[in-house]
Amino acid sequence: MIRNFTCDVITHSLRHAFECPVCSTQGRCSKPQLAAKMMSLAARSGAFSPYMQATAFTVAGPLKALVPGVVVKTEKILLNPKKQFLCRESLNGQSPKTGPSVTVSINGCAGVRFAHTDVRIPDFSDYRRPEVLDPKKSSQDSSESRRTFSYLVTGATTMVGVYAAKTVVTQFVSSMSASADVLALSKIEVKLSDIPEGKNMTFKWRGKPLFVRHRTEKEIATEAAVNIAELRDPEHDKDRVINPSWVIVLGVCTHLGCVPIANAGDFGGYYCPCHGSHYDASGRIRKGPAPLNLEVPYYEFPDEDTVVVG
Amino acid sequence: MALAKSVYNLLFRRTSTFAITIMVGAVFFERIFDQGGDAIFEQMNHGKLWKHIKHNYENKDEE
Repeated sequence: MIRNFTCDVITHSLRHAFECPVCSTQGRCSKPQLAAKMMSLAARSGAFSPYMQATAFTVAGPLKALVPGVVVKTEKILLNPKKQFLCRESLNGQSPKTGPSVTVSINGCAGVRFAHTDVRIPDFSDYRRPEVLDPKKSSQDSSESRRTFSYLVTGATTMVGVYAAKTVVTQFVSSMSASADVLALSKIEVKLSDIPEGKNMTFKWRGKPLFVRHRTEKEIATEAAVNIAELRDPEHDKDRVINPSWVIVLGVCTHLGCVPIANAGDFGGYYCPCHGSHYDASGRIRKGPAPLNLEVPYYEFPDEDTVVVG
Repeated sequence: MALAKSVYNLLFRRTSTFAITIMVGAVFFERIFDQGGDAIFEQMNHGKLWKHIKHNYENKDEE
């Protein structure tokens, strides 16, 4: 029962009652590489000893004894370099499966002790505040000022962010609602008494020509009597005017955008000289290549004598 | 330090007071930032703006 006398990595400071047959020393053992088991426990347990031992196999470890023994035979650690060292596969059969063993899964034994003495802790002192550089000083003494500073920086940044967001939002919103002078430019007010009956006048409105036509009673009657079924873009005359005496249309031919000539063409309305589109006195397309009637803008009559377009 | 402690306890400790501090601070920051920017602009363009040369073109008889 030699293994009953071998010493353990963890308990190598125990004094042996007998001479250790492995390292041949009485007292402190200097062979921590040979890990076996708790000597005294296993020795006393008698018949139960195979079930009570913590480790039954030799585990090579990097630990060295702090206090070397009296006789130091060699520093050489006998390792099989081809054997996988301290990984789960290599330790699978070495950790205890019976007795007082702890498992972490069905076949994952937790009885292996990894002694990582070579792990270096990174140095974070470049990232620390000067108050907490010294690990021996209590950080609570400076916590007040550090905390206040952190909140101050956060609050100031958020404050500037709020200001920037408010400015951007204000700019977008104010650009959406046009100011009064811009709105005033988009409207035109026409004095109707200046236009005699049967005449057409052209104004400039939003960069486009605007036709305002004072129709005669005969023209009104003619346009109202037109059969909608024979129109290319069927629209009744009363849908295109508010006051039948006044026809207000955009002077842009719906074909290719030329400006038609008033009181010309086969139908007595407008005639486009570019490709020969004929419009009637309501601005509806009657003949020629244009596909649609002349566009009617939004307008209203604030009183009898004026019209506001736009 | 006493000031920092009182500021922290009064303004920063609760999220509600922290948010209010930020909002109120943003109002003051906006005033300071905008007016400061305008002041810098006027100082750099001193003598070129209408309000600096306006008195040269005002008719004396109107006054």
